[in-house]
Amino acid sequence: MERNADDAVFGHFGAVAGYALAARRAMHTFRTGPETWKRIAVGQRRWANLNPAATMYDRPMTFEDYYNARWIVDPFRLFDTCLMTDGGRAVIITSAERARDLRHPPVLMTGVGQHNPSYDVHQATHLAGPTGAKKAGEMALRSAGITLNDIDACEIYDCFTYTVEITLQDYGFFGPGEGEDWLKNGTIEPGGRMPVNTSGGQLSEGYYMGLTPLSEAAMQLMGRCGERQLGPATHTKSPEIILCSDNGGILQTHSCIVLRRS
Amino acid sequence: MGEYNKPLPNINGDSREFWAGCKEHQLRFQMCKVCGHVRWPASIICPRCYSNETKWIIAGGRGKVYTFAVYHVAYHPGFENDLPYVVADVELEEGPRLLTNIVGCRPDEVKCEMVVEVTWEDITEEFSLPKFKPYQ
Repeated sequence: MERNADDAVFGHFGAVAGYALAARRAMHTFRTGPETWKRIAVGQRRWANLNPAATMYDRPMTFEDYYNARWIVDPFRLFDTCLMTDGGRAVIITSAERARDLRHPPVLMTGVGQHNPSYDVHQATHLAGPTGAKKAGEMALRSAGITLNDIDACEIYDCFTYTVEITLQDYGFFGPGEGEDWLKNGTIEPGGRMPVNTSGGQLSEGYYMGLTPLSEAAMQLMGRCGERQLGPATHTKSPEIILCSDNGGILQTHSCIVLRRS
Repeated sequence: MGEYNKPLPNINGDSREFWAGCKEHQLRFQMCKVCGHVRWPASIICPRCYSNETKWIIAGGRGKVYTFAVYHVAYHPGFENDLPYVVADVELEEGPRLLTNIVGCRPDEVKCEMVVEVTWEDITEEFSLPKFKPYQ
């Protein structure tokens, strides 16, 4: 990620600022910014408030809280950035045949896609999209033999709020700059038509790298999510298919995984 | 000027010519002799056509802000007194993009696509840093 070691000479360190550079270019390229991102931060927090394992379980958040939080690296405020968490997650991956004998109903991995634009962030032209999510998403849907219309919920790698927006945008849920409208009226929240990051995600549950989204998708499809379970309990569709993402570097690598209830 | 307490460049075989140029207040970049692509960071082959035929050119020092971020947290004690400061990716007229700082204006005056020009900061006996300020 830090290929150019001389970044530090100019006071440039770490992932927050790298993604902040990407998010700023996106703000210039299409209509986005805090007005869009606050809906991601607050929407995911509402899921965390239903998840006793979430770091932010007992801390509701309003749009006002979002704006009042301190700047980290502008355009990112505190609640645009993920948590730092000590802990772990594990998902057992095995053959469908072997999984038949296990105690929990298995979840099937029916589609996978990867794309790695892989430029040093300063030379990258994918900061405002299309990121690797575009081709990886197309590949995953094609290999699963489904379209976006078949997706019941998404578990998106959310190191920053902007990462969620650009990933959903590149997957094709909305066009560039349409995120703010798409997110309005609680689209991704409990009761919404496209639940996203139903554990609270890395912004509000805990940062377990790509395992936060993947393990939550598997748990939801197994029906093991208690108060936050997708379906009647949260006034959402009972999930058959969940789309998961993972990305690395500063939007340099991307994986998309389709999980299906068995 | 007190003792300089920020990180210094790590010179390697690829970047030596660039930093030697900075010392003389020149922005030196490699240009591919085959396809003409001007590149940064420095490297032994052209990332566009893979040729190793290279010459060094001196860039004019003008460019525009491709993107930028305003630090409100110091991740290194040397930058505490600079907060808030601007890190930017500046696209030079010759093509390469350089990670640098925008100085000479308030952080809230910086915009993407703003035209900027190089200004030199002599930080030690050995090193000068290319920073950028609004083009007058």
